[in-house]
Amino acid sequence: MTGHDGFYRRKALPALIVTAVVFILPMGAVFLKAFTSSGEPLRTFADPYTWKLLGFTVWESFLSALLSVLLAIPFSVFFSRYTFFGRRAILTMSDAAFALPAVLAVLGFVIYYGNNGMVNSALASVSGGRWSVKILYSFKAIILAHVYLNFPVAFSLITSALSSMPDTEERASELLGASGFRTFFRITLPKTWGMLLASFTLIFLFCFPSFLIVMSLGGNPRYFTMEAEIYKRTYTDVNPASSAALAIFSFIIMVILLVITGYGREEKRVSRRRRVLLKATGKTRVLAIVLSVVIFLFMAPPMLSILYRAFFTKDGTFTLKAWTAIAARSRTGTATSLGAVLNSLLVAAASAFIATNMASVIAMGAVRTKSRFTTLLTSLPMAIGSVSMGLGFSFIASRMPVRNIITSYVIVLAAHTVVVLPFAVRSIVPGARRIPERLALAAQTLGGDSKEAYRLIERPLLKPYRRRAFAFSFALSLGEVNATLALSEGRVTTIPILIYKMMNQYNYQGASALAVILLTIAIIVFAIGETGGDDNAVS
Amino acid sequence: MPYLECRDLRRVFHHFTLDISFSVDEGELMCILGPSGSGKSTLLGAISGTDGSISGQILLDGQDITCMPIQKRRIGMVFQDFSLFPSMDVERNIMYGMRDVPESEKHAEVERLLDMVDLAGYGSRQVHELSGGEAQRIALVRAVAAKPRMLLLDEPLSALDAPLRKKLRTMIRQIHDRTGITMLYVTHDREEAFSIADRIMIMRGGKLEAAGTPEELYIHPSNLFTAFFTGEGSSIPMSCIDGDDSEKTLFFRPEDAVFGNPVSLEPHIILKGASMESHEYTGSGYLVRLSYKGCPILVMTRKKPAQQWADAPVQVCIPKDRTVILNG
Repeated sequence: MTGHDGFYRRKALPALIVTAVVFILPMGAVFLKAFTSSGEPLRTFADPYTWKLLGFTVWESFLSALLSVLLAIPFSVFFSRYTFFGRRAILTMSDAAFALPAVLAVLGFVIYYGNNGMVNSALASVSGGRWSVKILYSFKAIILAHVYLNFPVAFSLITSALSSMPDTEERASELLGASGFRTFFRITLPKTWGMLLASFTLIFLFCFPSFLIVMSLGGNPRYFTMEAEIYKRTYTDVNPASSAALAIFSFIIMVILLVITGYGREEKRVSRRRRVLLKATGKTRVLAIVLSVVIFLFMAPPMLSILYRAFFTKDGTFTLKAWTAIAARSRTGTATSLGAVLNSLLVAAASAFIATNMASVIAMGAVRTKSRFTTLLTSLPMAIGSVSMGLGFSFIASRMPVRNIITSYVIVLAAHTVVVLPFAVRSIVPGARRIPERLALAAQTLGGDSKEAYRLIERPLLKPYRRRAFAFSFALSLGEVNATLALSEGRVTTIPILIYKMMNQYNYQGASALAVILLTIAIIVFAIGETGGDDNAVS
Repeated sequence: MPYLECRDLRRVFHHFTLDISFSVDEGELMCILGPSGSGKSTLLGAISGTDGSISGQILLDGQDITCMPIQKRRIGMVFQDFSLFPSMDVERNIMYGMRDVPESEKHAEVERLLDMVDLAGYGSRQVHELSGGEAQRIALVRAVAAKPRMLLLDEPLSALDAPLRKKLRTMIRQIHDRTGITMLYVTHDREEAFSIADRIMIMRGGKLEAAGTPEELYIHPSNLFTAFFTGEGSSIPMSCIDGDDSEKTLFFRPEDAVFGNPVSLEPHIILKGASMESHEYTGSGYLVRLSYKGCPILVMTRKKPAQQWADAPVQVCIPKDRTVILNG
C-alpha cells in the first residue's frame, strides 16, 4: 500500500529489536557455554539417552494434546450449538483455566489425587481401607495433569471457532436427511480439521517443554522431559555445559517443530456471520446439565481441595495456622510469604506492562505488513523452554560485574517478559486483524497522518485486546516457575517458587494458603481482562 | 483547462492492467460506471493516493499530485463500508477532518452539516448505533466537513437497500449542487449513474470504453459494450437486413421498436417475419423477446401480447434515426 506500511514497520522495530536482544542474549549465553566446553554438544547429540529423552518428550506431548483435543470435541460441538443456563459460566471457567499456573495444578493434584489425598481418603473411609487408587508419581499422572491444564484450552479454542462458523451447511445436510452423526463426520469435521490441528499443535507445544508437572508428578527420571533433564543436569549434577548442550538440542527440535507445524502462520479469517444458538430443551437440556457437571467435576475439585487445605488440616480440623504464618512474616528459607506476594505482583505487573506495549506495536506491524518473519520472531521464545531461558539468564548473571538485588530483579523481569511476550502478541493479533486498513486510509484522506490515525483510531480499538493481553501476561508471569527457579539465586522469590519449596517440605497447608492468594489474584486479573467486552468493536 | 486530469495512469496486476487517461471539469459530478473488476476502485485508489504504486500523472487544479502524500492532496473519500471511526462518536468523526475551522465554531458547523443530511441531533450518537443509511450520510458529511478539493465516492450506496439508495442519491446530488464540490462517483448501477451524473465514464478491463452525458451514452452508444451496459437493446448484423457483407451491427432500444406498420412517414427499418418467443411484464409494459433470422430482438409494448402472435410471424418497425450502426 502506501507509506503507512513503513510507519507500522518503524513503530514495531524497537520492540522487535528488544525482543531479539532479550531472546538472543540468553540463547547466546547457552551456546557459548556449550561450545566452549570440549565437544559437549557433539557428545550430547550422539548420546542415545538424549534421543530417548526426545522420544519420551514427543510421546507425552502427543498423547496429552491428542487426549485434550479428543475429549474437548464432543463438549465443544454441544456448547457451540446450544444455549442453556450456566453455559457462559462454564465457558468463562475454561477461559480462566487458560492462565491457570501449573504449580496450582500440581498442588491440587497432590492434595486431591495423592496417595494420602482426598480421593483416597474418601475411598478408604467408604471401603474400610480396602480401596485406593494410585495415580500420582506415574506416567498417567503427567498425562492427566497435562489434560487437566489443556482440556480447557482445547475446549475454549474449538468452541469459539465452531461458534464463529455459520452452521448453514449442517442444517442443509440435515434437511437432506443426514443424521447428526453423518453430518458431524461429513460436514463439521472436514471444515474444522484445520482448527482442530491448530489446537492440537498449540497444546503439543505447551506440553513439549513441560517441567514442573514432570518433576513433581512423574516422580521418576524415567519420565523426564528434556526441560526436566536440563534442570537436573544444571542443579543436581552441576554440569552446566552438558545442560547447555541439551538446551541447544531442545531448541533445535522446537524450532523444527514450529516450522513444521507452521505456528504463527496467518489464521484464516472466519466468517463474520455467527451461528444462532438453539435453546436446549428436553433431552438436550439433560445433556447440557450432564456435560456441565462432568466439566465441573473434572476441573473444580483439585482447586477446591486447595481452598479446603488452606483452612483445614488433613484430619479436617479448621485452622488459620498457615494464614497467621503469612501475616507473621515467618520465613521459608530466606523468603517471607508477604515478600513473595509483593515480588510476584511487582514482576507480573511490570512484565505484563512491558509485554503488552511491545505486543501492541508488534501485532499491528505484523498484521499491516503481513510479515511472517515478525510472527515467527515473536514466537521463537516459545521454542526455548523457560528452564533453558532461565539457564541462559543465569549464565549472563554469573558474568555480570555487579550482582545485587536490582540486577536480580532486572534479570527475572527480562526472563518473564520474554516468556509471556508470545502470548501477549497472540492475544492482540486478532484485534489488529479486525481493524480494517481502510480506517487509517479514511483518516489520511481527512488530513490525519499515520501516527495520528494509530493514536486516535486504531489504538483505542485495540483496547479490549490489550486489556486481555495484559491480564493473560500478568497471570502467566504470576504462575511462572520454570525460568524463575532456574534463575534461583534466592534473591527474588515469587509465590509459585515458594509454593514449590513448601511442597518439597510437605508443608501443604502453607502452600495451599499461598496458592489461594495466587488463585485469587489470577481470578481478579482475569476478571479485569474480561470486563467491558469488545468496547468500540469494529462493526 | 480540466480540473482533474489523469494522464496515462497505469497499474499492472497479475491478470489485469489499469491503463487510462481522462479528465473531469470543475464542479462536475462524473460517474465511473463499469462491471465488477473493471478497475473503478483501483482508479479511485490511485487518485486518492490510497494506492500508491501507479505510473502516469495526476493533475488536480493544475497541480501535479501523483506523488503527493494522501493527507496533502485534500481529496475526500466516501467508502462503500462507511469506514466511520468506531472509537469516536458522530460529532468527533465529523470534526476529525476539520483542520481549518476554529475550535469554537466546530460544534455549530457539525450541526449545520448534520442538518443538511436530515440527521440533526445525531452528534452524540455512537457509530454502532447508526443504521446503514445513517452511517453513510455521516461518512458523506465527514468527507465534506474537511473541505476537500474533490470528493471521491466508491460505490457509496451499494450496501443499502433500493428505496434508501434512491433517497440518498438524490441527497448526494443536492449536496453536490449546494457545495459545488467536484465529485467522482463509482458505481456499477446504471440507473444510479444516469440519475445522478453530469457525465458518465464507462470502464471495461481497466480501460476507458466510452464517456459522455447519460443521454449521449444511451441514445448514441459508441460501441456494443456501452450500448448493452447502458440498457436493454437488440443487435442484428447488417447482413441480415440489407445483405450488407460488412461486419457492422444495427442496434436499437426495445422502446423504439413497434409491432406492425410504421406509424409515421419518417424512414424506418422493417423487420419482417420475426417470431415471438416469450414476454415478461416490467411494470411499465411488456418486454417481448423475438427471434429475427436467428438473432434475438427485444420490443417494448404497452399491450399484453396475444397468444395468436406466438403462432404467426410478426413485423417489427424501428425509426431509422433511433438506431445506431456499430462495429462488431
